[in-house]
Amino acid sequence: MAEARPAALPGWRAGVPARWRGTTAWLIANRIGSGALTLLIVSAVIFIITGWLPGDAAQEALGQSATPETVAALRAQYGLDKPPYVRYFDWLVGLLSGHLGQSFTASMPVTELIAARLPKSLVLAAVTAAVSVPIALAIGIVSAMWRGTLLDRALNIATLSMVAVPEFLVATIAVLIFAVKLQWLSALSNAVDVSTPTQFFRTYAMPVATLCFVVIAQMARMTRAAVIDQLSASYVEMAVLKGARPARVALRHALPNAIGPIANAVALSLSYLLGGVVIVESIFNYPGIASLMVDAVSNRDMPVVQACAMIFCFAYLLLVLVADVVAILANPRLRHR
Amino acid sequence: MIRSLPIAGRVGLFFVAAWLLLAVIGPSIAPHPVGAVVAPDVYGAFSAAHPLGTDYLGRDMLSRILHGARFTIGLALVAALAASITGTTLALVAATAGGWVDEVMSRLMDTLISIPSKMLALVMVASFGSSVGLLILTAAVSYTPGAFRIARSLAVNVKTLEYVQAARARGERLPYVAVVEILPNMVNPMLADFGLRFVFVVLLLSGMSFLGLGVQPPNADLGSLVRENISGLFEGAPAVVMPAIAIATLTVSVNLLIDGISGRARTVEA
Amino acid sequence: MDDKNPIRLSTSDQQRVLQALARGASRREVLKILLSMGVMAASAGSLVAMSTKAHAQQPKKGGRIRAATPSSSTADTLDPAKGAHATDYTRHCMLYSGLTQLDATLTPQPALAEEIRNDKATVWTFKLRKDAKFHDGSPLTPADVVYSLNRHKDAATASKVKSVADQFTEVKAGGPNEVKVTLAGPNADLPVILAASHFLIVKDGAKDFSTTANGCGAFKVKEFKPGVRSVFVRNDNYWRAGKPYLDEVEIIGIQDEAARVNALLSGDVQMVMAVDPRSTARIKATQGFAVLETKSGLYTDLVMRQDAAPTNNPDFVMAMKYLIDREQAKNAVFRGFAVVANDQPIPPSHRYHFAGLPQRPYDLDKAKFHLQKAGLVGSTATIVATPAANGSIDMAVLMQQSAQKIGLTLNVNRVPADGYWSNHWMKHPLGFGNINPRPSADQLLTQFFKSDAQWNESGWKNEQFDQLVLAARAETDEAKRKKMYGDMQVLIHEKCGIGIPVFLSFVEAHSSKVKGMGSIPIGAFMGYTFAEHVWLDG
Repeated sequence: MAEARPAALPGWRAGVPARWRGTTAWLIANRIGSGALTLLIVSAVIFIITGWLPGDAAQEALGQSATPETVAALRAQYGLDKPPYVRYFDWLVGLLSGHLGQSFTASMPVTELIAARLPKSLVLAAVTAAVSVPIALAIGIVSAMWRGTLLDRALNIATLSMVAVPEFLVATIAVLIFAVKLQWLSALSNAVDVSTPTQFFRTYAMPVATLCFVVIAQMARMTRAAVIDQLSASYVEMAVLKGARPARVALRHALPNAIGPIANAVALSLSYLLGGVVIVESIFNYPGIASLMVDAVSNRDMPVVQACAMIFCFAYLLLVLVADVVAILANPRLRHR
Repeated sequence: MIRSLPIAGRVGLFFVAAWLLLAVIGPSIAPHPVGAVVAPDVYGAFSAAHPLGTDYLGRDMLSRILHGARFTIGLALVAALAASITGTTLALVAATAGGWVDEVMSRLMDTLISIPSKMLALVMVASFGSSVGLLILTAAVSYTPGAFRIARSLAVNVKTLEYVQAARARGERLPYVAVVEILPNMVNPMLADFGLRFVFVVLLLSGMSFLGLGVQPPNADLGSLVRENISGLFEGAPAVVMPAIAIATLTVSVNLLIDGISGRARTVEA
Repeated sequence: MDDKNPIRLSTSDQQRVLQALARGASRREVLKILLSMGVMAASAGSLVAMSTKAHAQQPKKGGRIRAATPSSSTADTLDPAKGAHATDYTRHCMLYSGLTQLDATLTPQPALAEEIRNDKATVWTFKLRKDAKFHDGSPLTPADVVYSLNRHKDAATASKVKSVADQFTEVKAGGPNEVKVTLAGPNADLPVILAASHFLIVKDGAKDFSTTANGCGAFKVKEFKPGVRSVFVRNDNYWRAGKPYLDEVEIIGIQDEAARVNALLSGDVQMVMAVDPRSTARIKATQGFAVLETKSGLYTDLVMRQDAAPTNNPDFVMAMKYLIDREQAKNAVFRGFAVVANDQPIPPSHRYHFAGLPQRPYDLDKAKFHLQKAGLVGSTATIVATPAANGSIDMAVLMQQSAQKIGLTLNVNRVPADGYWSNHWMKHPLGFGNINPRPSADQLLTQFFKSDAQWNESGWKNEQFDQLVLAARAETDEAKRKKMYGDMQVLIHEKCGIGIPVFLSFVEAHSSKVKGMGSIPIGAFMGYTFAEHVWLDG
């Protein structure tokens, strides 16, 4: 392992022993390779399952007024008269040369469609992550440290109730109270102008709050469970016997060993934020890629569906890679694989 | 056994038992058929004739909730169990076998997670129709990878602990190591995860009702009941509030019970 | 003030009052002005009331509104030929103009065509306006009209109205500023047909509609993002002088109905369409908003295929028709925003509606009788319903309840809206359809009821009906025409496998600041033409 000289690592890691430096770099390289494989498998799977859908883009476009000739003409235009494996292969070739193809329904390049919406999805996801992760971690750690007390029970029930209420109900109630009755916030979130902090808050407050309701529970509960498990281990007992304060015990001794499962739970929850937020995007009229994908499925717009699937997969792989790297760095035992 | 549960656990047990009972006998004790329009007044308030009000067409909400509970509980329970058990089993196999077995399984699971569950549900229902079996399958497939992922990270963590390494050094075979040494140490977080899987399936069902999918009319699961009566929210109609409360009590109580059980399991084990 | 003692103000005095009103004077200020002119206090009061009311109806130029429709996706298009739903039609009516336009009674009025002549309803000559200009400044020429009408016949255009345009055997320029259209057979309804948004006029040779539109309409494209929003600005060279009043209009799609209504009530949008009848109570209860109902010929019909069992049995069809509780559908499903229908597609507001047809009642005994005659008591059938056909799911559930009472088990199969028209419509023995209002009775009956019609939903074949359709199309005598359409309605009512429970109304809502809204029963938002008629006040 020591012979393999990976590219110089930034900052503090350069001072780290070569033995495990190789491990992390090997992990990343390994992941890039298997990530590419996963992306390929995802594209094939999506192509196959959307092939099960009845109808195609030409029929959808013409709807009630379809006649056999107009459908045939449109099919030829879209290239839908070719057999499935040819279409998939063409798309794959296009992808490898950097072209995501042309959207059937919008008659514009897929990259253009996505470029308009992806940044907005990323902003919403990032803000939600920035708000929800600290809150979830705090709730989880506090619940673990004071487990069994009234505070723990109350936090538990609170987070559970938050996730149990259907998203569209939370969103609709929020809009009723804050937009219709109080008129403090905007019912729609596709305002073009979000330059000032106030505008930004007015636009994003409710969508982010709704999404937090959904994702905080999983992260908080996994944090609590993982930290509690560590807190019952012998080295923690040792630390307590040595006289460490509860906070120090939790944060310095238990938490680093619990980071693996916590990081995974965080990655899973956050990966939901790109592809699963259809309801929030619909209610707040937020032009993101989750609703783009659902629309594309309804319109049988295959190039767009494929491209969105690629994006969700890529984002998920990235999140999981970060989670696994964090887990390895935090848990020394995992560094020797 | 019940006495060793903390208070919250007992409360959870009570509600879970009540809901299970309702799931079984609900439709038989409902005062009206699930689809009958019995009141001229839509979004009626609490009354003697209609204890939980009336819905957007004038049907009795109590009856609809009693019928709907069966769908929500049945679907969610079966799907969540399937997802958790499958995910945990596959994760144990992957974690203990390691190597390419682990790689292949992880890649497959990653593939499934990348597909948003609502989109998968949309495609499955549009392609194969909306039957209970299909809904259970879709929900289970959507949530198995998540359980796998979490179980695997737990298993990998546990694998590095001393007694596991000791067992392997002793020469114990992999299945033994997996089931006897690793699994018991994963049980608590996985139970907590199961509780959450259950909630997620209930949510997936209600999210599907937003997209117009779900069990066939006149039946409706609890999430669909909230969705179809949403325009009564402004007047605070019981029709929209009561099913939401039903969902909340169901999911919270399941998790309270699980927390109670997992707390007890920990004290039993040495 | 009354007619016997009119108060006469001098012209300069009247000017003072009008100027004060234009400045936004309050009633009190106007009252002071009048008193200062020497008008007696009592009369001044009523004069103020009348003048402020009169002024309130004066359109004001300027302002920007945002309107929300239920559908918006990447399939949004600026090509009139491809318009698929209300949002598209609204966009197209703002950007383009057509040869004719429908008024509130669905009678075609001249628009780009100043004068229309016809020879035996077969050769039509349209004389075009000379002052109409496209957004790029070029004048409207016959070549533009010829291109616009002919392009529908080309299969490559994928036009939604190809089957209608196929009856144009020849479209060519017939003289300076004139276009001659020759039809395959006489059709007295051509001006009505050409008023549809699909037949709006585009520039000769236009092929690319992806980012901008070049039309003669009241607005120009400022921004068009399919699936996100469209923003249009006033066309100052619009051929209708003085209109439109608004500076800018933005159209967005909000699919969730509750979100749509909330957006209106929170002030984020000023107009919404497709309001659920159950939301109207709270809109009316909120200050500053109004609900508008437009009765129309829109209907969701029960389709019973004549080429499949059990619906090919005429007694079964009759049983189903008697099983529909129309009053319940009107009240429970549509909360009163509907008109009871009689299993035939011409609505009561249409000039050819035959009022003498006895209303078929909800009659369980007759339904059971017919079911027994068909030998199907105790049998099971599946009825396919979808959100794509308004109210069909609720009506199916209600029918299921009624059917139980006569020993028929109906299973409801709800299918998603997407793909319904291609994969389910007209493909199951029992299903639903949803037909938009058409001002031309001939068009409606030809496209949906004639034996060889592509969209003959039930698949029925009735020779007498087919003959009547052709005869009525060519008939120019109004009385004879009306009688023929009456006979056709009776035939459909009695023999066709289509059940029409109610005619639906368009329900929409807007802020009270939006003035000038009216109803044109061809569609929501004033038949999609609201943008050139409304103004903002307040």
